[in-house]
Amino acid sequence: MRQLLRRISVFVVLFSAWPATSGCAQEQAEQPAQGSFKVVHVIGLEGIKHDTKGTIAVAKDTLEFSTGPTKSGVSIPSMQDVLTGADSERAIGGTIGVLSSLAPYGGGRFLSLFRKKIDTLTIQYRDSNGGLHGVIFTLPPSQGAALKKQLLAGGAKTSISVEDEAKQQRESKKAKEKKP
Amino acid sequence: MRRVPVTTIFVFSLIASLLADGLPLRAQSQPQKAATPQASGSLKASAIQIQQIQANEVKLSAEFQMALYENVIEEVSKTNKFEHVYRDGDRNAADASDLVILHSTVTGFKQGSGMARQVTTVAGATDIKVHLQFTDKNGKSLLERDVDGRVRFFGENLRATYDFGKKVAGVVRQNFTMASRASQ
Repeated sequence: MRQLLRRISVFVVLFSAWPATSGCAQEQAEQPAQGSFKVVHVIGLEGIKHDTKGTIAVAKDTLEFSTGPTKSGVSIPSMQDVLTGADSERAIGGTIGVLSSLAPYGGGRFLSLFRKKIDTLTIQYRDSNGGLHGVIFTLPPSQGAALKKQLLAGGAKTSISVEDEAKQQRESKKAKEKKP
Repeated sequence: MRRVPVTTIFVFSLIASLLADGLPLRAQSQPQKAATPQASGSLKASAIQIQQIQANEVKLSAEFQMALYENVIEEVSKTNKFEHVYRDGDRNAADASDLVILHSTVTGFKQGSGMARQVTTVAGATDIKVHLQFTDKNGKSLLERDVDGRVRFFGENLRATYDFGKKVAGVVRQNFTMASRASQ
């Protein structure tokens, strides 16, 4: 009986780790359609909940986020600063991620080792009354810079150019690798 | 020696981890008291303007800075202590009669590691320390507090900004009374 339980838990852990690794590869291979990006809205857009998956597209002078029938937009010329960053997150997140922490023999912790790289895009803009807003999106790796270029072409402003940001990220990555 | 059943070990470790996770979280939710002591709910204002988070001495990434700002606005709005919650730069705030302005300055930031946190549960905590100052329109200080946002167990690093927002809302609940209610 004990052996059977052990075998089942090993199977569950391995089975749940499989989509994590294959998902990473799939996401890196995914290329954005012309002008549209698959993103996760972290915070900031009015009428959109936190951590909502959706797509954003640059249409005329508006950055439009859509998730199902719900849409929300930000005027591109009102953007005062657009910044990208690099981060990572647990490959298996959400409810399944939390539930997996209950898996026996440290299975949940084992799954935490599988992480995927993400880009972050932070937008600062002012509304018609002059009020400051911040919007944060996460995107698949290396798509943040592409989206930023589109926004800058549409009239958005930035305090750090795309090239400088890429250089900074490379340097911080090197510094992290150097640390023992 | 008698062997302990695997299921018993699992149940005990589950209870232990839940207790370990729950206790510090409860401790975290208590906002830190500092500087000027105020009687509970002694301040009254009909509107608050939340200024952008300043991080002059501390290197803080843009996403953390904006997430702190947005979470504070969201959580302070939920307290229902003010008729209006104005954003930084909002021109309408100038017309508000008894306006309180919240200035926040980041004094410390330790970026943890999500992986270290989830694998070890004792390492990799993210911690943001912020000094809050509530002033009136003329800049006179009404209340000062030091608050920190943490993420120790579950969630990615940005979750510390949500924790910070909740604690700022706690400070507001503790120290402010809605102007209309106070006059009754």
